[in-house]
This record gives sequence, C-alpha cells and structure tokens, in this order.
Amino acid sequence: MEWAVSLAHPEINADILESCRQGDRDAFRVVYETHKDRVYSVALYFFHGDATAAADVTQQVFLKLMTDFHHFRGDSAFSTWLYRIVFNTCVNTSRRNKSRAIKDEPRLAQTLASTDSQEADLARKQTADSVRTAISALPPVFRLAILLRYFDDLSYEEMAKILNCSVGTVSSRLSRAHRLLAAKLAPLKAWLGSKDSL
Amino acid sequence: MRFLKWHASDKLAAYLDNQLSAPDRVRVEAHLAACDRCRKELTHIRVSDAAIHRLPLVSAPDGLWSAIEAAADSHPRPPHPVPGVRLTWQYTAAVFLAAMLASGYWILSRPSRPAWEVSALNGAPLAGERPLQGLGSLYTGESIETDSASRARIRVASIGSVVVEPGTLIRLVATGASEHRLALRSGAISAVISAPPRIFIVDTPAATAVDLGCEYQLQCDRDGAGALRVRSGWVALEWKGRESLVPGGASCRIYPGRGPGTPTFDDASPDFIAAVNAFDQSGQRGALNLILDRARTRDTLTLWHMLSRVNAADRIGVYERLVALAPPPASVSRHQVLALDADTLTRWREELAWIW
Repeated sequence: MEWAVSLAHPEINADILESCRQGDRDAFRVVYETHKDRVYSVALYFFHGDATAAADVTQQVFLKLMTDFHHFRGDSAFSTWLYRIVFNTCVNTSRRNKSRAIKDEPRLAQTLASTDSQEADLARKQTADSVRTAISALPPVFRLAILLRYFDDLSYEEMAKILNCSVGTVSSRLSRAHRLLAAKLAPLKAWLGSKDSL
Repeated sequence: MRFLKWHASDKLAAYLDNQLSAPDRVRVEAHLAACDRCRKELTHIRVSDAAIHRLPLVSAPDGLWSAIEAAADSHPRPPHPVPGVRLTWQYTAAVFLAAMLASGYWILSRPSRPAWEVSALNGAPLAGERPLQGLGSLYTGESIETDSASRARIRVASIGSVVVEPGTLIRLVATGASEHRLALRSGAISAVISAPPRIFIVDTPAATAVDLGCEYQLQCDRDGAGALRVRSGWVALEWKGRESLVPGGASCRIYPGRGPGTPTFDDASPDFIAAVNAFDQSGQRGALNLILDRARTRDTLTLWHMLSRVNAADRIGVYERLVALAPPPASVSRHQVLALDADTLTRWREELAWIW
C-alpha cells in the first residue's frame, strides 16, 4: 500500500486497447492491473470503507469493461470512459443499497490495518483516519468529485464528461467539498502546515 | 474589507488546481488581492488539499481478477479471435480479401435505402405495407402498423430495440451514424436504448422525445395527446423551445398544441400529480398552491420545471419552496433564478439531479 496519493496517471497505450477490442484476455489483464487499485480505492472511500461493496463495484466495473468494450469508440480518453463506468457503478450501487446505509469506519480501519506496514507513522495514520471520516461525511456528489480528482488525477474537463456536468460545476463542487472538509479538519490545520488560521 | 458583489468561491479549487483559463486566473487573483473572505477560503482549500494528499491508495484484494474472469466467461459477449491465433500476414491478407469480396457483394446487392431488422411478436403486423411473418426489414420512409392483436419489435441499428405495441402506427424517418429517428403517429412503443445522448429520437404530433440513454414508454393518440414514462436514464421532451427533462421513475404528459407538460415522479401522491396536470392544462392558482404545499424534496423535479412556466409573481413562491426543500449552491443566486438565467437554472438542475 502506498501512503501518499500518487498523481501520476497511467494511460493504456493504443496497442493494448486494440487487443482489448479483439477480446484479448491478457490485454484486459494489463488494464486491470494498471487501474485496479485506483478503482478499488475510489469505491472503498465512496462506500465508507465497506470492503465488500468496494470489491463488488471493482468487479462490476471490470466485467462491464470486458463485455462492453466494443462501445468504447475512442472519441474520448480511455480513462474518461473507464471512470464514467466507475461513476455510474458507484451511483447505481449506492441507490440499490440505500437501505443498507454504511457507517462502518472500523471495517475501513481493519482493511487498512491489514495492509499497513509496521513502520507506519502514528500521526500520519491518525490524520488519514480523520480525512477518511471527513470524506465519508460528504454528500455523494462531492465525495465522488474529490475521489476522482485525487485518486485519478483527472482534468476538470475529463471530470465534467464523467460527472455529466459543466466544467464550472466541477470547480464549484470541488470548492464546496474542500470547504466542508476544511471545516471538519480544522484541528489538524497545524499538523498540515497551514500558516493562516481556520 | 470593502464591499464586493462577486466572490471567487466556486473558482478557488480550479485556481489551486491550475485549471482556470488565463483571463479567469487574472480575475481571481485580482479579486483575492482585495477580498479577505476569499483569501480565507483559499486557505481552507489548501488545508483540505494537503490532507487529501495524505490518503493512502488501497490495494484491491487478491483473487478479484479470477472472479472477474469467471463472471466474464459466464457472460454473453461479442465474438473475438480464438486465443492463441496471431495476426500473420497471410491471415491478414485472407481477412482483407474476404472483406473486399463481401463489401463488393454488399454494394451490388444492397437495398437503395438503409433498413432495420423487424420481427413480429404477436399477430401479423404490417412492415412497409407488407405482412410481417417472422423476420423482415423496415426501410427509411416505411411504417410499421399493428392492429389490436399484433405487436412487433424493431432492432434500432446496433443501439437497442423498440417494441411496437398493439394499435400503433410508426414510421422510420432516418437512420445514420449521427441520428436514428422514428415518427410515432399514434399508439404506444417501449424503447430500450444504449447510445450516446441525442442519437435516438422519436417525433410525436405534439412533442419530440430525445433519448439521453435510457429505457422508456411513449404513447400518443392521433390528436397528439400522449404520455411518456421513463424507467431508467433520461429523456428530453421538446416542442418549440419548451423542454421537459424526465428522469427514470418519472412521467410527463404531452398536450396537443402546447407540447410537454411538467414531469412528476410516479411515486408522488395522486393529488400532487392531479394538481400538476390541472395546472398544466389551465394554470389554476389553486392547483399551484396545492403543488407547493404537497411537494416533497424529490418533487423539486416538478418545481424546477415550473420556475419557467409560471408568471413572475408566482415564480417567487415556487423559488422559495424550492429553496426550502433543497437550498441552492452558492453559484445560484435568487436574482439570476428569478430572471430565468439559463446557465444558473442548469447549474441548479445539475445539483438537484442528485436527489431525483
């Protein structure tokens, strides 16, 4: 497990995409290996740390990618198409599971603990826990915008296509999400190194 | 701080992420120099941004790929080359030659107009005035007609299908890469479409249904009166500049000479739906009061559409009820909503859509 969100965004090359179009299982495996952790992380944080829901969403996303690849026409970046599937799957699963409202922070903590290294810095871990809790409390529309931006390093233009809204709305949602997060994270301000008061 | 009418709040994330155009960036920086409030908000965003960067990327569980492969194996999918076959030049040449022969045959034998595959589901529908038994073709300009005992299915290119219900007359107007268009003269259809928005369109005498990626039922009589019921996705009903956006789980009536009515969710109370229909037909004040009184949070779908359909005085009441049910984002001002600013209304709808 990495500890800092990497903003380097891997892109799948045209040869692999063409092989996927031909139904080549090995090519799909390359796509899966490249994106699986990002897709899983977005789903895990979106579903409040529910590892079962995150695995289910990840499976649905890559199954849809394999069965519907002929719908990818290449008129947008592959990552835009992939994360549109992630977005739709998260929203649809969330609607289906409305009665099963998940507020299970211990499960997330368990998931992370099981993959954490022994040298993990305690302060860093506490900070990450606070951030996760704050993200979980965001309304879904803001939560997905933040997760897509930070785990997938998508441009606002790509996010607008994925979220089916304008670029201005993407900026507005991210700004509002940040304000809500900052309010919840005020006690950590000093640790995070900000100079101004909250 | 001196009084500033405009704030950069909604642009600050884009500013920090370097996603603003050069003119917008200059404008935001000039504003930040003069506005304490926005400078403080920028600090908040920096704190949040720094915090999120400390979130770990979590590894997907082992064994997930095997589960995906197993699910894919049991799932019907388009044919693909046999594993292990490599594209040698001989293979490529053979495929090329076969394609040339096939396309030559197709050019010589193709019909003069594009056609869709149609099939009879019950009875004996007419396709292009020919009795349809089993499979047949429907050419551009031709109609399908079902009597009270027959039904048919139209395969809409490669993007979905339409079931033509009994007592229906429908014509294929056009089919191509950018648009597939039917004209429903009377009767009912059920459509399931998987395509980019605005590719599949159905004209009725009083409104045009524009598919935004969805599953829906549409019916109309010869005068144009009809109704749309959307099961999933979105459909836009349009007529002479008037538009109703109907999401899954909602319905919308169509009125001859006036186009689409105001959409309502199917789970709204019967008296709410009756009041919306009464208001659409006669603009009754009593109906409007009942709509405002009975609206639930989800019925902001109906109220948002009514903003542009009531007079200026009543618009204030509709706006205030909307605000009470779902407060607008900072970028949506009362003044702009009451002035029916198109961008502002769109921004608010995009936010409201999350609760529809």
